[in-house]
Amino acid sequence: MAEVNRGKAAFKFCFWLVVGVALFGYIIYTYSSGRMIQWYYYTASLDGYAVDANLSMNATKEKPAVLSIRKQDTVDGLVAIPVSKGDRLPKNANGVISQAELKSGKRAVVEGQTVKVMIPWQIKETKGFKFKDTFKHKGIKTNPWAGAWNVAMVLALGVSLGLLAEGFTDLVGWKIGKIEHGH
Amino acid sequence: MFDFAIAGVQAPFFLLVLVGLTVGIVGGFIGVGGGYMVTPALIVFGFPGYMASGIDMTHICGKGLVSTVRHRQLGNIDWTLALSMIAGTMLGVELGIRLLVYFKNLGISGVVLLMTSVALMFTLFLYTQFETRRAHKKMAEMEKAGEKLGRELQTSNLPKFFQTIPLAPIIRCRAARVIVSMWVIVLVGMVTGVLAGFLGVGGGFVRVPALVYVVGASTHIAVGTDLVEIVISGAYGALRHSIEGNVDMMAVLFMIAGAMFGAQVGSIATSYVRGPAIRYILSYSLILATLGAALRLTYVLTGQSVEWLSLTAVVLTLGEMIFLCLFISSLVWFAVRRRGGKWVPDWVAPLVI
Repeated sequence: MAEVNRGKAAFKFCFWLVVGVALFGYIIYTYSSGRMIQWYYYTASLDGYAVDANLSMNATKEKPAVLSIRKQDTVDGLVAIPVSKGDRLPKNANGVISQAELKSGKRAVVEGQTVKVMIPWQIKETKGFKFKDTFKHKGIKTNPWAGAWNVAMVLALGVSLGLLAEGFTDLVGWKIGKIEHGH
Repeated sequence: MFDFAIAGVQAPFFLLVLVGLTVGIVGGFIGVGGGYMVTPALIVFGFPGYMASGIDMTHICGKGLVSTVRHRQLGNIDWTLALSMIAGTMLGVELGIRLLVYFKNLGISGVVLLMTSVALMFTLFLYTQFETRRAHKKMAEMEKAGEKLGRELQTSNLPKFFQTIPLAPIIRCRAARVIVSMWVIVLVGMVTGVLAGFLGVGGGFVRVPALVYVVGASTHIAVGTDLVEIVISGAYGALRHSIEGNVDMMAVLFMIAGAMFGAQVGSIATSYVRGPAIRYILSYSLILATLGAALRLTYVLTGQSVEWLSLTAVVLTLGEMIFLCLFISSLVWFAVRRRGGKWVPDWVAPLVI
């Protein structure tokens, strides 16, 4: 069994606790402030209208959600902002209703200065499980650096939480040493 | 309920923590990522399928690392083995993804994927179960005869065959106490990588038996070493999913918070048992996952008209996590009792230390 130095263990525990809490805090702050979303939802991958897909989720054919077409920097309420492929997405937008979708007129249609959403979600299936497929995340090209950031954050969290737990067991005197692997 | 802004769903966050905790226990103990359990659970909570896969893969990377840190302390990682396998694994994963795209273009990816899962997991279950039963019986006999039992005992002759392949370079894996051709390890990495990439999972449930029955590593080493592979393939998968926009970091955060505790329990629990106990849990997890996949396959083949098949598959998958956690906890409990000189059932005695 491994011998444990309590002072070293206390330092290890405190250090990784601070790192872990800082990482959690940073992720929660960037997420709740909308920074992460803005950074993540990067540009439009096709021509269409940038929308907040959550706001039209309850629409039906009988009671469509009517989004006014406006040119502005932020999606605030029932608004559809025209975007072209490669444009930076407006704030709060989380999906793009494509021109192709609007032309087909099955789920949404342009009427004058409005976009009418009639079928906001449809059931799809993957690996034998069904789920609601919406306009959300559609027509969006994400920031590739956001991908690298996600992986870096998860790896940093994994290391810090792993070493935090190791520091904790050392601190409470739970001796965990290498095990014998005899056949 | 928590509003997951990126995924666009409202879901109870404590359930995500709970899933992270249970999969952390199982994953830390048998060395799997648990993708086949987490993805269905997230879909049940309302996450779209693509988001469920992305969140799952990203959380597996973080959870795998938490478990890896603890397994490193326990001496369950053979770094030579892990590093030799990486190139094969990465190549295999890429080939597996291309194979999946090929079947997707033919329009039969769903059926082929489920059929392969069922056939592979059932075969692995049968082999692991029969071999482990033989090892268990032998250990029970040795204990009765008063012989000293080691941490590991496996009765398969396959490792002997693979260890005698005289293809240079031959490498020595010190922690695993194995001398084997590097090409055997690379091949194991590649084949398990193809399956992982094709099935869209971390591949632990194939890699752990492969490391035990092909390379000849002990089960504990196979678990720890496989977790290193899971971290690497998980990071690659997480990067790909993140670039596609399929990851909600808040959901990942809640699951990792649960996994932090679960992974400790699962990893430390390995020090209370002998190799066959881990292989038993692995085989039970395989048969339960096979049943779930078989139900989903039947559901797909019947034109998705029999709704209860899909529902039963979900219930079975979620029930599996709880069952395996209880099984692992009971083994640790019996091990503690045995260490204290108290009574434990006869069938448990050779499995615990």
